[in-house]
Amino acid sequence: MARPSAQSRLTSIERYRGQVLSHPLGRGISPDEVRDHLAQVPRQRFPRVAYANRGPSPCIQPRGGVPLFETQYELTRQLSEAGADFIPLTIDSYTRHNQYDTATQLLHRSEEEGKSYLNGYPLISHGFELTRQLYCGLEKPVSLRHGTPDARLLAEVAMASGIAEIEGGAICYCLPYSEGFPLDRCLLYWQYVDRVCAVNSTEDLPIHRESFGPLTATLVPPAVVVAIEIIEALLAAEQGVTSFAVSFGQTGSIIQDIATATVLRELTRYYLDKFGFGSVQSYLVYHQWMGQFPAERERAAALIACSAIISSIIAADKIVVKTVDEALGVPRPEINAEACDTVRYVLRTFRSAETVTSPMIERETALIRSEATSILEAIFDISGSAFWESVFRAFQLGYLDVPFSPHVDNANKLLSVRDANGSIRIADAAAVPISDQDARIERDLLESREDRADKTYRQMLADIRLMV
Amino acid sequence: MSVYQGRVVIGVIGDDIHIVGNRIMQLALEESGFQVFNLRARNRPEEFCQAALEVNADAVFVSSLNGEGEYWCADVRGLFRKAGLEHVLLYVGGNIVVGKRSKDEVVRLFKQFGFDRVYHQEPDISVAIADLQEDLKHGAAQRAVKAHQH
Repeated sequence: MARPSAQSRLTSIERYRGQVLSHPLGRGISPDEVRDHLAQVPRQRFPRVAYANRGPSPCIQPRGGVPLFETQYELTRQLSEAGADFIPLTIDSYTRHNQYDTATQLLHRSEEEGKSYLNGYPLISHGFELTRQLYCGLEKPVSLRHGTPDARLLAEVAMASGIAEIEGGAICYCLPYSEGFPLDRCLLYWQYVDRVCAVNSTEDLPIHRESFGPLTATLVPPAVVVAIEIIEALLAAEQGVTSFAVSFGQTGSIIQDIATATVLRELTRYYLDKFGFGSVQSYLVYHQWMGQFPAERERAAALIACSAIISSIIAADKIVVKTVDEALGVPRPEINAEACDTVRYVLRTFRSAETVTSPMIERETALIRSEATSILEAIFDISGSAFWESVFRAFQLGYLDVPFSPHVDNANKLLSVRDANGSIRIADAAAVPISDQDARIERDLLESREDRADKTYRQMLADIRLMV
Repeated sequence: MSVYQGRVVIGVIGDDIHIVGNRIMQLALEESGFQVFNLRARNRPEEFCQAALEVNADAVFVSSLNGEGEYWCADVRGLFRKAGLEHVLLYVGGNIVVGKRSKDEVVRLFKQFGFDRVYHQEPDISVAIADLQEDLKHGAAQRAVKAHQH
């Protein structure tokens, strides 16, 4: 039995950092100089300060990363002027897979030909000295968005660049993004990232970590999301992280969104306190619909506006926004700026005065709470000498099962479809340890749907394409 | 679940990690009575060939969503022939080429590569399953006979 514990904290991190920073592209980074730099960037660059000052509405964060420095600089300014409260730095996929040489080559080609050969900003190729200049005078947090199983060097370069929010985690950046990166090693590599975040933090101005709750964004039952988000919060807390955001993606059902937010917020606090991490501040982030988007811009705009209202109803600390061109590919900066403006308008116009509730929402909340608790308690009971080992075994046993993950260590046995109100239901929990009673409730709620397709796969396909 | 229909290897070719269709396909084939061996994402042609050999497959479904299919699929039939798997049915589907090209052109190209059936941007997998049931009516060996006649 391995419970989360501060005793799992990595020791001799300084020597370990020395090894990671000896990489040719990491040379020049001095841990002391990085701490000094972080001490002199504006306070508003730290999420804790931004969240404390956010007022009644959620903070707004768009997405965006381009290969060239100048273009990224322009994008940053444009997004900031359009009302973004958090500035994204999205990393290209070669860097995400640690293929820094390829990223550097394609960066040079992009510079020479004036065309984008990368789908994001190759942070390690650009280096921290240049990247610091991206944010001169910026008084908003910058969020590192990637999808990297081994983000040790990337996180080092990001913090050296003055970036105080690191998204990701061992599960959320491995299971949806990789088909074979060993999960156990990923858990250890993220311990490093979490530990370095903690080392670079001060009590008032901590480096902030955020998990990526949407996962595969394809029919993932809320209880599975809640369990994984709490696991990542606990793993980060073990390493000394004191500022952490759990998140989830719009489910497609307003009832389920409200219920998920309630349970996620409540159980994150409960388990952090339970294992002695009462000093960790937790936040809630909501992702606008992460599934297939409608190609029609009017419909996309309507969807964006609706999810903005939901973020207000659930009192999210931050909303991560999509654009009307989502179905078409990487959006232009103007389109991205426009999305910030739309969301800002909706949030200003429709403020939620108090929590919305109804018998249906209460029933859904109770169900998600009960299921997530069963899953977590079962994982705490798995043998292992440290919590991360129990988490690793949870996947081997199928206790955690993320629908539509391409990863070999994922069981892929859990089946989920939507019920009459569009909520995601567990049709077959497989090895995921929810109680028999909860499994029965899930099935009963599923029965409520009258227009069910003749074949499961047809039903799933229709449910995945809900918004199209 | 319907009666056993045959063994099918499925997977996504190239560095493509689009997995949603792959999972749906597995469910659809299983619901129709096929035994499915799913290679999931990021496969080279050799891996399809190896799997077909190992499980004695009747058919292989190659998928591509990001358009890498054209590059990787040219050699697949040749590999199967070399491995003595001429009789195995080869199907390909998804969004198999980059850019906008007519369906006819794409189908012709992949038939030249040696695929038995080609589904470019077909949203419903039930068409392919019906075709597979038809093609396997008399067992996979039928394919080898037909191949000889041509």
